[in-house]
Amino acid sequence: MKTYDVIVIGGGPAGLAAAVSADKKGASVFLIEREARLGGILKQCIHDGFGLIRFGEKLSGPEYVERFIKEFREREIDHSLLTFVTEMKRTDGGFVLKAVNRRGVQEYCAKALVLATGCRERTAKQVQIHGTRPAGIMTAGTAQHFVNLQGKMPAGKCVILGSGDIGLIMARRLTLEGAEVLGVYEVKPTPSGLTRNIVQCLDDYGIPLHLSHTVTRVFGEQRLTAVEVAEVDSNMKPVEATKKRVACDSLILSVGLIPENEMAEKLGVRLDARTKGPVCDNRFMTETEGVFSCGNALHVNDLVDYVSESGELAGAAAAEFTRRGADTVTKQGKNSRAVSVELKPDTSLQYLVPQKLTLSDELKQVVFYFRSREVLSAGTLVFLLNGKEIFHKKYRNLKPPEMERLELDLSTFKIEKDSRIEIAIRKEGDI
Amino acid sequence: MKEMTCIVCPNGCSLKVEKKDGVWEVSGNQCKRGEAFAVEEMTHPMRTICSTVRTIFAGVPVIPVRVSAEIPKERIFDVMNQINQVTVDRICGTGEPVIENVLGLGVDVIVTSDILKGYENAESVS
Amino acid sequence: MNVNVLQKKLHKHFGESVSVRIENRCIIVSGHLDSWDKIVAACSMCVNKKPGMHVVNDIRLDGVTIPEMRIPDVKDDSLDKKKPDVLIIGGGISGASIARELSKWKLDILLVDKEADLAVQASGRNDGEVHPGVDLNRGSLKQHYVLKGNRMFGRVCKELSVPFDRCGQYVGFTGKWMYPLIWAYVWQRRHICKVKDTRILKRDELFRREPNLNPEFQFAIFNPSAGCVCPYGLTIAYGENAVENGAKVSLNTAVLGMEVKNAKIRSVTTNRGTVYPKIVINAAGVFAEDVAKMAGDRFYSIHPRKGTNSILDKKSGSLVKGIASIKTLNQNTKHTKGGGILHTVHDNLLVGPNAVETYEKENFATEQGSIDAVFEKQKLTAGALSKRDIITYFTGVRPATFEEDFVIEKGRRTKNLIHCAGIQSPGLTTAPAVALDIEKMVVKELSKSRKVERNRDFQPVRKAAPVLNRLSDEERNRLIQENPNYGEIVCRCEEISKGEILDALKSPIPVPTIDGIKKRVRPGMGRCQGGFCMPLVTKIISEYEQIPEEKVRKAGAGSEILLRETKPGKGEAVS
Repeated sequence: MKTYDVIVIGGGPAGLAAAVSADKKGASVFLIEREARLGGILKQCIHDGFGLIRFGEKLSGPEYVERFIKEFREREIDHSLLTFVTEMKRTDGGFVLKAVNRRGVQEYCAKALVLATGCRERTAKQVQIHGTRPAGIMTAGTAQHFVNLQGKMPAGKCVILGSGDIGLIMARRLTLEGAEVLGVYEVKPTPSGLTRNIVQCLDDYGIPLHLSHTVTRVFGEQRLTAVEVAEVDSNMKPVEATKKRVACDSLILSVGLIPENEMAEKLGVRLDARTKGPVCDNRFMTETEGVFSCGNALHVNDLVDYVSESGELAGAAAAEFTRRGADTVTKQGKNSRAVSVELKPDTSLQYLVPQKLTLSDELKQVVFYFRSREVLSAGTLVFLLNGKEIFHKKYRNLKPPEMERLELDLSTFKIEKDSRIEIAIRKEGDI
Repeated sequence: MKEMTCIVCPNGCSLKVEKKDGVWEVSGNQCKRGEAFAVEEMTHPMRTICSTVRTIFAGVPVIPVRVSAEIPKERIFDVMNQINQVTVDRICGTGEPVIENVLGLGVDVIVTSDILKGYENAESVS
Repeated sequence: MNVNVLQKKLHKHFGESVSVRIENRCIIVSGHLDSWDKIVAACSMCVNKKPGMHVVNDIRLDGVTIPEMRIPDVKDDSLDKKKPDVLIIGGGISGASIARELSKWKLDILLVDKEADLAVQASGRNDGEVHPGVDLNRGSLKQHYVLKGNRMFGRVCKELSVPFDRCGQYVGFTGKWMYPLIWAYVWQRRHICKVKDTRILKRDELFRREPNLNPEFQFAIFNPSAGCVCPYGLTIAYGENAVENGAKVSLNTAVLGMEVKNAKIRSVTTNRGTVYPKIVINAAGVFAEDVAKMAGDRFYSIHPRKGTNSILDKKSGSLVKGIASIKTLNQNTKHTKGGGILHTVHDNLLVGPNAVETYEKENFATEQGSIDAVFEKQKLTAGALSKRDIITYFTGVRPATFEEDFVIEKGRRTKNLIHCAGIQSPGLTTAPAVALDIEKMVVKELSKSRKVERNRDFQPVRKAAPVLNRLSDEERNRLIQENPNYGEIVCRCEEISKGEILDALKSPIPVPTIDGIKKRVRPGMGRCQGGFCMPLVTKIISEYEQIPEEKVRKAGAGSEILLRETKPGKGEAVS
């Protein structure tokens, strides 16, 4: 059985970054990817706009991810493609993984795991769409796969439900390839996707965005023939009198992404109900020691630049963990090494990652990711330590669809094991 | 007067543009780039487009392409028409043009993936 | 039975527009009414318990045209002039099991179904429970067959290589005071109805077995013989074994008409030609009455009753290990079971079904209201049940007769016809036993004119393809070495390999559609509902069948997933 310091599961942008950074730290690294090619979902994200923060360029998804693949290959990091992890188990010194590929059933051993398993799309059934079950209903990601990788059109005249970024991108993409996009319906009163995508993908092509509207029913026996749309009230319940039929041959769904953590759950990793990803500390380590999480498996990002960043941080931390592993393990018997403090974001934040801080000498620069719960033209993010403000930062235009990143040096604050750390966003005028 | 959302950066300022005495006046912007964006939107809006072109390789039926620089917004579908005519019949990679100076716009249509290069390798592996 | 009394009763409840008469052991109710529920109520009111008496519904529904049976688009002469010994109409659990049992004999068997696959209607849209029969009274065909059928399941599923789990059924009660009543009921079931396994579980043992049920349960009726099976999996397995033993299955084949002469079916017209069978078996589900009518032998009526089930993520699978439901004494209708919670053989939870009368035999549309109602009730069975865990839902339509019993008998007027009709719940459980009886009836009938010989080559054990994720590591590794496609995972939620999908494409009744593959090997059944694997399965089908991906369908004709290539052919510019 092959043994590594760090095994990275997932060869998308997060996993590649994690593998490269763990390798840079001197760890022996193995990456497992279930598809035939590295790159994850970016393989099919042929639109541009990736890498603005990281490279200062507007790259397409393949261009962006291939830069990481190039580095990954140059470093000759061990990996296995078309390999699917079927089982993960904790052992005394780490983890044993079982996987299958075209060569057979494989077993690998690692001191630390980085879970970079990405996310999946919510389905029509999960948003309670009823009626018949015809062809022509699929998620935006599935449509994107067909159009961009297989060169096939799944839609002629289509309705898009949900204004998530992939839905907006696909509205433009399908239009460019000759489909007629009748409209995008969003159940919430505000769009779910980035503003620039609303402008460039919908406005540019005259595609209407219907806010506070949803699809309530589908029709058609073999192929979709129509959908029923309705306005929703303030409780997001469809208003009967506003129901109307829209004739179409396809319904594309972009109604949210869910971090994939089935593997993590098997290892007993605790998940955060708000992010649907693991609860992790400033090193991106989950509550299961030695298991790290990054990218969209940790929380759904809107910019890949941050996916790569969290991958790098998690990969480096995993390498660091395995380096120190030996002495921490022996110490653990006597007294618990790591003391962690839970961060307490209030309801003004949709979520905050990491959710905890592990107190050690390493606790210096910490990267935080958060989303505001509400659309705010101006707001101030405040950190309170035992009720006293220790940090604040003003933001303009806080929006739930647009994640914010904050890097903070925590070494100057006296954070102790019974410290109470609260985080809030104050609206302009609250202060 | 026209209202628009600035897309230069994630701030997404709500802009108002008005022509007064032959000069564009922009309000609502927080920076110079926003002003430039608004004026360009009113005079000659430019966009990038991304698509795919057909290949002769069975395992990779299409490869991604984009324009190497922005093109006039009103020419998007003309350029798409050109993109749709192309069939790639050789191994090529990121940055290589599949159409040079498309429609005389001074912009190339370039490949944005090395997938075909990997395809060769993948074929030999399996 | 006094028709006049019945007539008076009808008039009192439904006015002068309905009337009843008795002809040839049929209670014919006719006239017109303005709601389907009234029609069902009027016909149900006329039911007579005398064996062999059936209500025939001739009441028109005012202002409504009842939808015609949907016919496949296919038209060819692939079956024209065929002369099978036995023509089975309907590829549900009844038709498929009958075909398999008949394949023990040297007979030319043809099974037709109008759908693109077997088990598309009721047999593919039920909860998969193998019933213990505890809720049925003596004297009905249902009760007779359910006990026999249940006992056969272990052997049948083993022969056909279909997963079956005798997981037991728990019906919980919250009121201690009900104990004596239920004790008497259970005694009666055991000793009079001969449901020998049924017993009462005390609270402690109930919670030892099913710790997540309603803590207010004081005791439960327990039936260890209850189990679950994949209903379409079993139907397909029966069909495949029949084909392995020489039967023929023609899908996308609808029966359009019959020529009946001298009380015998001479020919049967289909969209694929006219066939001349010696004997016809009517296993047409909700359309059994229509087939009976074509054959000039209509003596019962079907009133369709639909029910919706939800499937929950495997993550919630540990909530209930067997089959659980709650019984309250204020249950208002006799048919509404309100469903239950069932741990499926694939480790999901299934919740449902409810029951709603409908005149639309093929309306499989789902409604949120049905799911809400079922969950409201089943949260009383297990409080942790959550609608958030739902990954999919589906509606099926039960083919009920007004007597709420099966019709398993030879044609009354038409001699070469056997009815296997009204097969609603527990029709899946009864199928193995019913099929044996129908086999006997067919052989006896055919033996009148010729000698019917045993099929000496009959092989009862189906050659099933391996299910890789159920194998040991060693076995799995060995198979991957032999066929690397078994090591290439296509469906991540259900862990299905390319090799298994290819096996399904090579199976005895291949259905190279997304739904056909999904039913056989499960890609797309998981939590992502095919989001990731559907493009891959499309590609595998296209490569195997050597058709362009645009020709790959979800199910029947017209359900292609893709419309065209993104890039038009050379020279055809898009405008």
